[in-house]
Amino acid sequence: MKKNIQISLGSLFLVLGSIFTACGPDARLDMVGMFAGSSPIIDKRFEQSMEYNKQAGYATIQALTDDYHVYVCTDTHIHKTRKRWEYFIDAYRADLLCPLAVHLGDIIDATTDFGYIEEALAPHPLAAILPNKTDTLMAVCGNHDIYFKQWEQYIKTFKTSSYYFVVKTPTSKKDLFVVFDSADGTVGKKQLTWLRETLAWAEKQDFRHIVACTHTNFFKRDNSQGHSSNFTQEETYALLNLFTSSGVDMLWSGHDHSREITQVNGMTSIVVDSMKDEDKEPYYMLVTMGEKIDYKFVAVP
Amino acid sequence: MKKIFFIVALCSLLLAPAAMAQVQPSDSQYAVSLHVGYAHNLTYGSYANFDIDAYMPINPYFEMQANVRTSTANVHTFGVQLRPNFALPVGELYVEDRLMLRFAQRDSYRDFVHAISLGYMMQYVNVQVGMSNRIITPLPYTNHSEDGMILEPFDVVYRVEAFVRPQTSSWNISLCFSNMDNYQVERMWQPMFYLGGWYDMNEHWRVRLSGKMKLAGMFHLNAHYYGAELRVGAEYRF
Repeated sequence: MKKNIQISLGSLFLVLGSIFTACGPDARLDMVGMFAGSSPIIDKRFEQSMEYNKQAGYATIQALTDDYHVYVCTDTHIHKTRKRWEYFIDAYRADLLCPLAVHLGDIIDATTDFGYIEEALAPHPLAAILPNKTDTLMAVCGNHDIYFKQWEQYIKTFKTSSYYFVVKTPTSKKDLFVVFDSADGTVGKKQLTWLRETLAWAEKQDFRHIVACTHTNFFKRDNSQGHSSNFTQEETYALLNLFTSSGVDMLWSGHDHSREITQVNGMTSIVVDSMKDEDKEPYYMLVTMGEKIDYKFVAVP
Repeated sequence: MKKIFFIVALCSLLLAPAAMAQVQPSDSQYAVSLHVGYAHNLTYGSYANFDIDAYMPINPYFEMQANVRTSTANVHTFGVQLRPNFALPVGELYVEDRLMLRFAQRDSYRDFVHAISLGYMMQYVNVQVGMSNRIITPLPYTNHSEDGMILEPFDVVYRVEAFVRPQTSSWNISLCFSNMDNYQVERMWQPMFYLGGWYDMNEHWRVRLSGKMKLAGMFHLNAHYYGAELRVGAEYRF
């Protein structure tokens, strides 16, 4: 009870404090966005993502083994330093069983230039032999990536925030990853229709596993969510029903900054820990996609 | 322009307590009300709500209220509120214990919410703050599965409502900011905005008209429209 009261008061002070830290050259939060956001709303962002998908198509990635690794991180909130971001990039690129990594959003903190993110990706020797370096890092935008009109930079860097990709294994097993934009706490009308259509299509294919990836977490199961908001209730249940009835095995999200694993109607929902440079206990998630999906959390120094 | 709007909104919120005034006596009449509402949101599209509410003052210090909502969106709600109240020299202090069972049949989920809050009611202002917990259950639910119910053990509920006239008036208009109403308790960071009014046609009949707006992403700091409801109804007081 005492902790709950502390969390409530802490949240209140956080909001009030945030209001007063929302101005100035080093602003971390765009509080005006509480009433009028500075980036396009979800339907518009979704259209932009779809425009890119139409031109570029949906990626198919070839894994070298049937059991392969996926590195998942979230909430790096890169501001002035990128120490752990670089550590993560080195880790997944050094792993030969890993054909891709996923960033679940809040890549930057607010006003950080996305060029700073790209710089860390570019110098690696492997990047030069890959046709498009963003293929190896699949990203979805989080709320911090769209403050202060940053969506323009996000889309310029990562091209899309609503898409799917397929990973094929040497024995022609296929896993589907559906990535969707929830940076403003809703999937919106158009994206929800797209999700329904995509998962209806996926049910007819012979996918070994289906994984959904987004930024905003679904539940509010503990006190760690003092500072973060969720989907509306209506949308939470609609998405849960859609995923659990369409054979989605796992839902990966971030936003909360604290780990949370929930079994719901045959699906495993995982909220991955944050990986900010300032964090005391940062982790990324190392997933082994095989006949079963195994995962573990790796502490980042 | 956006910054000016933000500052005005913030000042309005901070100055709201200045509207506080005289004591609001409890309404001592039993009442039943019927409402219909047209609603829209990004998830369900358009739908209609039908509400029946019963208000039962057991004695001057204790009230009960029961609420039932059925909806063409195939979401159905049953709620009970127990409200002991204590008159103060200025205003009235009350405790509200709210139980709500909500069947989102369309999505095969059910949630049960318990919210307890402390309120202070005055002629022009009503302020309420408390905590809630929620149990989410897939439908149909079975005990023979490793998947359990999802418990959201702690959340905050709040309500700030301002009236343009004393609440004993024969007509009134109110503005409200809250994450709960008689048919839904949202999470802490998902507030809803209400504008409503009533008119007493005679001693027994009161008509009500209200609107509700729900934004998505207020605390993702990229807010925009999520849903709205326009609700009209009549209340009969015995």
